[in-house]
Amino acid sequence: MSEKKELLSGICLGSFGVYVAFEALRLPYVSEFGPGPGFFPLWIGIGLTLLSLLLIVANLFASTAPESSKSQSRTAIGRALVGWSGLMLAIGLLHWLGFGLSLALLAAFLVLALERRSPWVAISVAFGLALGFHAIFVLALGLSLPAGPWGF
Amino acid sequence: MESIGNLLLGFSVALTPGNLFWCFVGVFLGTVVGILPGLGPAATIAMLLPLTFKMDHTAAIIMLAGIYYGSKYGGSTTSILLNVPGESASVVTCLDGYQMARQGRAGPALGIAAIASFVAGTVGVIGLMLIAPPVARFALRFGPPEYFALMALGLTMVVFLAGKSMIKGLLAMLVGLWLAGVGTDLFTAESRFTFGQMELLDGIDFVVVSIGIFAVAEVLVNMESRGGTELFKVPRGIRNLMPTLKDLKDCRFAFLNGSVIGFLIGVLPGAGSTIASFLSYGAEKAFSRYPEKFGTGVIEGVAAPEGANNSETGGALVPLLTLGIPGSNATAILLAALILWGIKPGPLLIQDNPGLFWGLVTSMYVGNVMLLVLNLPLVPLFAQILRVPYFVLYPGILGISIVGVYSVSNSLFDVWMLGLFGLLGYAMRKLDFPAAPLVLGMVLGDGLERALRQSLMMSEGRLSVLITRPLSAAMICVALAILIMPLVNKVRSFRVKAVEQDV
Amino acid sequence: MKRSWCCLLLITSGFVLSGAGGIAHAAAFEPTKPIEAVVHTGPGGGSDIFARAIAELMQKEKIIAQRLQVVNKSGGGSAVAMSYLAEKKGDTHTIGFFTGVWITNPLTTMEAKTTIADLTPIVRLVLEPAVFAVKADSPYKTMKDFIEAAKKNPNQLKQSGGSVTGRDNLVRLVVQKATGAKWVFVSFPSGGERIANLLGGHVEAMVIEPQEAGEHIRAGNMRVIAALTDKRLPSFPNVPTLKEQGVNVPVIPQARGILAPPGVPKEVVQYWEGIFDRFAKSANWKQYVEHNQFEDGYLKGPGLNKFFDDLTVQMREVLKEAGAKVVR
Repeated sequence: MSEKKELLSGICLGSFGVYVAFEALRLPYVSEFGPGPGFFPLWIGIGLTLLSLLLIVANLFASTAPESSKSQSRTAIGRALVGWSGLMLAIGLLHWLGFGLSLALLAAFLVLALERRSPWVAISVAFGLALGFHAIFVLALGLSLPAGPWGF
Repeated sequence: MESIGNLLLGFSVALTPGNLFWCFVGVFLGTVVGILPGLGPAATIAMLLPLTFKMDHTAAIIMLAGIYYGSKYGGSTTSILLNVPGESASVVTCLDGYQMARQGRAGPALGIAAIASFVAGTVGVIGLMLIAPPVARFALRFGPPEYFALMALGLTMVVFLAGKSMIKGLLAMLVGLWLAGVGTDLFTAESRFTFGQMELLDGIDFVVVSIGIFAVAEVLVNMESRGGTELFKVPRGIRNLMPTLKDLKDCRFAFLNGSVIGFLIGVLPGAGSTIASFLSYGAEKAFSRYPEKFGTGVIEGVAAPEGANNSETGGALVPLLTLGIPGSNATAILLAALILWGIKPGPLLIQDNPGLFWGLVTSMYVGNVMLLVLNLPLVPLFAQILRVPYFVLYPGILGISIVGVYSVSNSLFDVWMLGLFGLLGYAMRKLDFPAAPLVLGMVLGDGLERALRQSLMMSEGRLSVLITRPLSAAMICVALAILIMPLVNKVRSFRVKAVEQDV
Repeated sequence: MKRSWCCLLLITSGFVLSGAGGIAHAAAFEPTKPIEAVVHTGPGGGSDIFARAIAELMQKEKIIAQRLQVVNKSGGGSAVAMSYLAEKKGDTHTIGFFTGVWITNPLTTMEAKTTIADLTPIVRLVLEPAVFAVKADSPYKTMKDFIEAAKKNPNQLKQSGGSVTGRDNLVRLVVQKATGAKWVFVSFPSGGERIANLLGGHVEAMVIEPQEAGEHIRAGNMRVIAALTDKRLPSFPNVPTLKEQGVNVPVIPQARGILAPPGVPKEVVQYWEGIFDRFAKSANWKQYVEHNQFEDGYLKGPGLNKFFDDLTVQMREVLKEAGAKVVR
């Protein structure tokens, strides 16, 4: 399990490094005086690729760890990703519904879907948070937050 | 002595009821601003500028300066309690501070942060008072090669931040360096890695990355399992909510380290409090008797960076008040304020306006005392935040993160990026990549590349300029020594093992 | 029949009245809520301070009933601010504070899609002069000294400045072209660093605004060797201009003024012109201009349009010759 992690990260970062190096080659390597904009990214890309290879190689010969907790970690990651999708959805709604409503919806979603509490808890948390944020940040501090059609 | 006369003059100005009031307003606002992630002292000072036109100038600068150094006190609060960096410089405080909170030691962590801030902040003011002009002149000798050497020295801190796997630490650092390079190249006006997005022309904001990778990722990790109602245990009783005498004794070196490093870095224009906190943390770990414990909740790991980012404010005021050169965004606005009020900042400011200068300096002593008195009693209060059921806390943290990011640039694009970096931070946690080196790389990447290219521009491409100048050569030697250290240790332990096996 | 005449009369008068009402309405545009003043810098930046000062002075002079609310839209030079204004098409309660970078940025940056031609010019308020400065103890007492030294040792002398498309570098480029001298340009992102490097002896020269230089000169750390303007500056009567010293180059202006979003009705433009007319004549404004050592650059209407067109052409040429990538 553990060396799969290293392989995965190694491959991701290695390909990222190659991408960076390629993009960097399109930029001028030297400029009028000294290194150009392509200089640093190129070496960063090369460094990323080499170190990723090192990571992969170092773990190809590592021993296999027991895979007992595989299913549990899958659901764990799943939950985190569901939560993350909720966050991204809320961010998407910021433009249309404004901060207050989006936060309320996100809170309700997290409480209901992830924590499986009762709808009453969800609504009160959502309402309370949205009110609290509005009171502190918008009214007391005068920050401007994305406002929806109803002005909050 | 002249200084005593100046101090008396200063106190006579600073201790008037009007100036005391404005000092309090400033430090209070500063603390609030520091606690809120994202919103920084620079923006707050700019927003309050119009109000200062009608005020007495000395009172106004006392208030604005209060916001500036006050914000460094508050920045540690959310870092320790929620792993949300309240201020860029507080990122380092998250490393050990949050771990301390998880072990039920949030109180001592918050307390030591306030005390370290007070001690180092006061030392910074003493430095400003006593050695400002000669230190400023010394700082002028720092040209691009010296800055490069300093940034390189900063990057070697990765050795102290990488944890178990050096390879992963280096990889994270390289990603951070790449992130720093996104945007418009200063020297050629070419766009790098902007993916055609106008919002990326100025690069990625550090606040977005740090809040995403620390705060949002932490929430995502905690979402993995349904737990009990409390985030982590909150200690009861005042004794457990404050640092013990032993804690204070342990932190002696950290106080000194934070004060000195913070002040010196602050004097250099453009260096910044984040670099100061990283260097201070690294130095603390290097000279500690139990370096391997850093990152798991060591109190010196909170005291050193928190002290450093406070004495840095004293240092940053040195070039501003003695030369008229601002060292950072916040000091640039203070400079603009002085100009708007008709006071000319420059080498003759102290001569022309002794009341203003000495009044300001002494008000900073007073301000630091006020801040200690304000912040220490608040520690038990803040620690209660951890009692909030975590299903309320998590959406709350996400909300604070969004507000924090949005308050910096009013850009929804930045909020999207916050989400992306949150996912990146989560992936890094699952794949065991340390976050601190990435942040380190991002903070230093810009400065490092710029300083190198500036140096080469100035020396017609000769790299030797970095070694022929004494200051930069010295720093590069220290950097190399730090890099070689782990290898030497490995060889040493290998030899010890070999000897043991022989016996 | 009488009834139809009545109807016709009623209808016609209805038209006339509404028409008159319409004209009266169009002639008297008055803002009804706070005005958004868009600047392209963050808080504390040059444009931000300028806009806030003007907002303050407007309040003092009571020229306008509503207040000016400064909105920072920083990013990509002027790109974010300009595209924000372009999106607010027809909005009568928004204005923008432009500087030279609003003209040059779209020329060199692909992502900056809004150009100055897309926005509605209102008025140009000031021109910011600049001077060429060296360290006080340097051997260069005149611009000629500096140019001679640069000719003798090409690329040995260094100038600190901002972005390569900014005024400081453009000045260097035109002088280099005219005189054949060559010296290095080193970019520093903040004014503080530029000055620190000059005072620390790491660079030999810089282009700086007179109000910034004033204090350092008074303290005896800096020396001004040329005024980069058409006429000598009142605060530096003994400093000759480039032309006077035999360097015949066009002056690269740094202008500041007001724009409006595209599609704004003519009455609104006239309203703003009227407001800034009165503002520019006020004593407080004149004092501000003098205090900051600006040049009064009041210009509006077709003259302003010509200024923008000429400047765009000039900038494009200079940038191309500089070797910068010109995309528009």
